Amino acid sequence: MRSRDGNHTFTHTVLLLIFFSSLALNASEFLISYRYVLKDAILYNETLDISQAMKKCRGTAQKSLFLEHHNKKNIRDILSINSEEFIEFIHKLGLDVAHRGETINMQNSSTTILTLKTTCFKVDINENFAIIAPLK
Amino acid sequence: MKYSLLFAIFFSLTTSVIAGETPPAMANCQTAECTKPFVVPAKEKMLHKKSDLRISVTGQGVAPLNTTSPAQAYALAKRAAVGDAYRLIAEKVKGVRVDGQDLIKNMMVQKSSVRTSVNAMVRNANIVETTFKDGLCEVEMEIILSHTQFSY
Repeated sequence: MRSRDGNHTFTHTVLLLIFFSSLALNASEFLISYRYVLKDAILYNETLDISQAMKKCRGTAQKSLFLEHHNKKNIRDILSINSEEFIEFIHKLGLDVAHRGETINMQNSSTTILTLKTTCFKVDINENFAIIAPLK
Repeated sequence: MKYSLLFAIFFSLTTSVIAGETPPAMANCQTAECTKPFVVPAKEKMLHKKSDLRISVTGQGVAPLNTTSPAQAYALAKRAAVGDAYRLIAEKVKGVRVDGQDLIKNMMVQKSSVRTSVNAMVRNANIVETTFKDGLCEVEMEIILSHTQFSY
């Protein structure tokens, strides 16, 4: 007679499936893009888009940033608390600069757009810190 | 007579050189632009294998009028100044594309336009100093370029 949990292979298969599917979903990787627009030396628009990665990102983790998470578990909340540090970090990673200036009949106007192209970030949250590293 | 004439010519030439007289071409100059002394432009800095090149710029930004607090005004002005500094770095390193167009009708300028554009990718620029005075934020930024970044 077979024991109640005797079907080891089936249980193991199910557990392995759950494990690998969780890896595939990869809850600790996020796609982040950032863009801001300056018009005539005034900040006009700023957007920071954060999205959970739907599939595993390629690349290795680069220089990481440590942020205090203040017991928050959501990456959006953590980045909202530490927005200054994170945006400074984004600037260091590199931004695309697109500038257009126009002088018509001696009147000048300009638009500058700075963009961080969508980048995958690996996020690890431990007891005190959230460690954010871009993948490249 | 011959010698006296030669002496007179020589004397007039030497006195004009010593007194620093303007050349005959500039003698009729009336505008401020052409009376400026001719300045030889400084040799442009080049990137060499052995030494890095430091580029320093100062970006300026102002806060929008509809801010709710001085702190918000400062933050927004600083963001604008950083963006301006990035643009200046891009202009210095990569250059500016300039397009100009003048529309002239019946011998009169109807419309004059100059368009400039810059496209670049800037990374590893550092803020050196930030000042905020009378609503204007100035951010001094620098970037260090090395030869290896551009060699393949």
